[in-house]
Amino acid sequence: MLSRTAENLFWSARYIERADSLARLLEVGYRISLIPNTEAGYNNEWESILETSGMKNEYLKKYKNISKEQIIFYLLFDLENPSSVKNCITSARENIRMVRTAVTLEVWNAINTSFHELDKNMKDTKNILKELPEIIEWIKKQVNLIRGTILNTQLINDGYDFLILGTYFERADFTARIINVKYFILLPSINYVGSDIDNFQWSLMLRSISSFRAFQWAYGGQEITYIKILDFLILNMTCPRSLIFSVEKIHHHLDRLTKFYKQTSTSKKKIRSIYKKLKNLNANRISDIGLHEFLKSFIEEINFVYKKFEQKYFFGLET
Amino acid sequence: MYNEVYKNLKVRKFYDKIYDWAKSLPENIIVKKKNEAENLFKKIGITFSVYNNFDSTERLIPFDMFPRIISGTEWKKIKNGVVQRALAINAFLNDIYNSGEIVKAKIIPENLIYKNPAYEIKMVGFKVPKRIYSPIIGSDIIRVDEKIFKVLEDNCRTPSGVSYMIENREIMMRMFPELFEKLKIETVENYPHYLLDVLKSLAPKKCNKEPKVVILTPGSLNSAYYEHSFLADLMGVELVQGTDLFVDESITYMKTTRGPEKVDIIYRRIDDRFIDPISFDSSSLIGIPGLFDSYKSDNVNICSAPGSGIADDKAIYSYLPEIIKFYLGEEPILENVKTWRCYKDDERKYVLNNLNKLVVKEVHGSGGYGLMIGSKSSKKQIENFRKKILLNPENYIAQPILELSSVPIFDKNRLSPRHVDLRPFCLVGANKTKLVNGGLTRVALKEGSLIVNSSQGGGVKDTWVLNE
Repeated sequence: MLSRTAENLFWSARYIERADSLARLLEVGYRISLIPNTEAGYNNEWESILETSGMKNEYLKKYKNISKEQIIFYLLFDLENPSSVKNCITSARENIRMVRTAVTLEVWNAINTSFHELDKNMKDTKNILKELPEIIEWIKKQVNLIRGTILNTQLINDGYDFLILGTYFERADFTARIINVKYFILLPSINYVGSDIDNFQWSLMLRSISSFRAFQWAYGGQEITYIKILDFLILNMTCPRSLIFSVEKIHHHLDRLTKFYKQTSTSKKKIRSIYKKLKNLNANRISDIGLHEFLKSFIEEINFVYKKFEQKYFFGLET
Repeated sequence: MYNEVYKNLKVRKFYDKIYDWAKSLPENIIVKKKNEAENLFKKIGITFSVYNNFDSTERLIPFDMFPRIISGTEWKKIKNGVVQRALAINAFLNDIYNSGEIVKAKIIPENLIYKNPAYEIKMVGFKVPKRIYSPIIGSDIIRVDEKIFKVLEDNCRTPSGVSYMIENREIMMRMFPELFEKLKIETVENYPHYLLDVLKSLAPKKCNKEPKVVILTPGSLNSAYYEHSFLADLMGVELVQGTDLFVDESITYMKTTRGPEKVDIIYRRIDDRFIDPISFDSSSLIGIPGLFDSYKSDNVNICSAPGSGIADDKAIYSYLPEIIKFYLGEEPILENVKTWRCYKDDERKYVLNNLNKLVVKEVHGSGGYGLMIGSKSSKKQIENFRKKILLNPENYIAQPILELSSVPIFDKNRLSPRHVDLRPFCLVGANKTKLVNGGLTRVALKEGSLIVNSSQGGGVKDTWVLNE
């Protein structure tokens, strides 16, 4: 397959996953805003949502002050925000349009329809809060539709691998970032670890990655604790949002590529070692190393894998 | 004006079933089906870009549901005529880039060829694979009466519109399957298959395996991008951009996830001057440095060949009947439109005296640009063209203002006649010619308008060649 085709497929899937993450993040914001603030501590939920999205600095350059309507608009529809849902879906479509022949008609239809219908959902900022649940539902539905058509209609060839890799590189990064943000930005001080507000925030985080119910099932409805959360979000192979799950997927598809092309690759070797390391780790050990240190090095390592992967398959360099 | 559907207030026989059908459609169904068609086009992504100074936006090409019908007998003549022209044009290109017999025989003036800006000096003496310069020719045909079809121009470089021919049919079949039971209609779906077959027959000399074909596009912002990707998809070949290709030691490769892969035949949809910044326009960012060298060392074929565009020249067109006779020894099957060449003193004099009755065209104009329709222009516009002709007579030809035939469209849910033309696509390979039984009908949507180009308010119709 053309290197450019592989690159377009990868980024298209990556943008779709990003749009999905943003929609879920906004859902968290919406839920918090419905709960009265009884606890002391952090009560500007929209600001923390903005923080979690990693777009706060850019936002402040444009708007100066924090307003919930403005934040929602910025994350959903603002054309000046390169990662807004609107821009993610537009970029996903642009990428696929450039390699229209590499996906099935059904995948194209799903992405193209999302693009055309997006503007219908674009509300003026005044009513945006009221309309938010509907918009979020729509985004999640479209993303599931797109993903469903990919799973059900694409040939399971190298193009499929590049699509799936786009999804899991993005998800691994997003989950790592969201855990990091939870601990080091959202919680007012380290004294709050284990407090009600800590657990409340954890339940929100779980919701933002759509894993709240899943957690309850996985741990038999036990109380949410720090260690269990770490286990769930980092090391639990049954959780589709955990780091190890994404790493396993990336490994699987990089491995398929090397077999398909009958070549070796540095990226595959590296992701394999990350996977093995995670498999032999437990949550208490991560807590001992220090969560922040662990996440920082995880993000760097995944980035290294990505760089090698990009060089080999997109730029045609030997690695 | 020839109306293809009515004759003396009665419906012609080929159209009777369709006419009854169209008349019986209730207004709400017409509206519903129109929306349905538009949604299908949107969904499939059949859009074209319109350029202006500020941005390029995607638009849908207007599609009209009333089909245009051509009888089997009429089609046979068109088909034979188009094939004849395509063969003659290729023989002509081969001649003028080699021994120039037609010039020696004084059939076409030397200057018109060797001083023509479209004559590519770098191609002189080069033996193109299988002597085919232009494997895809789209001739624009107009109907003037019951019997006569004439050719308005031949597009030899990169004619577009074939995707609409195929998609229009697809959409009509989806929306009105019952019509295809009423009439026996020739299929057009084989086109991509024919195209691949023809291209593969044009492998370069140094290719000794199954040739690798690619389509070269300027990119997704190009107005015909949809068509490029559509054809690549149906042919099962890669759609490449300049940056996907590179030349190493005169061999052309594409960059793939497996590593470099050799390319043998490039169906290019970019202009000559952009294909290679080393040999042609050095500012081209969409070209491939070294491609022309790879081509001239017989490692890759470029279709159509650089320099084919001279056959699009409207002054050369005026010699086509002579060209057909000279190379094929046959009488032309399809007529040309009467053409006055402004570089000839007597013809120019006639043109200047009759500007208000003529269409004046630039010899290299296309897409409905660079022309003046005398009867529809102001005095000022006419005087402006007069000056242009006097200043640079070689650059202009003139033709009578033709009344293109008409076929109805659904206009505000009523049938109303509009002017149409027809573009069949003729494929020429090594010792073979192929043509699907159909073509693209373009329709001028504005009442009375004669300009059918999509960039200027034209639409399209499905074209049905009857199997009799």
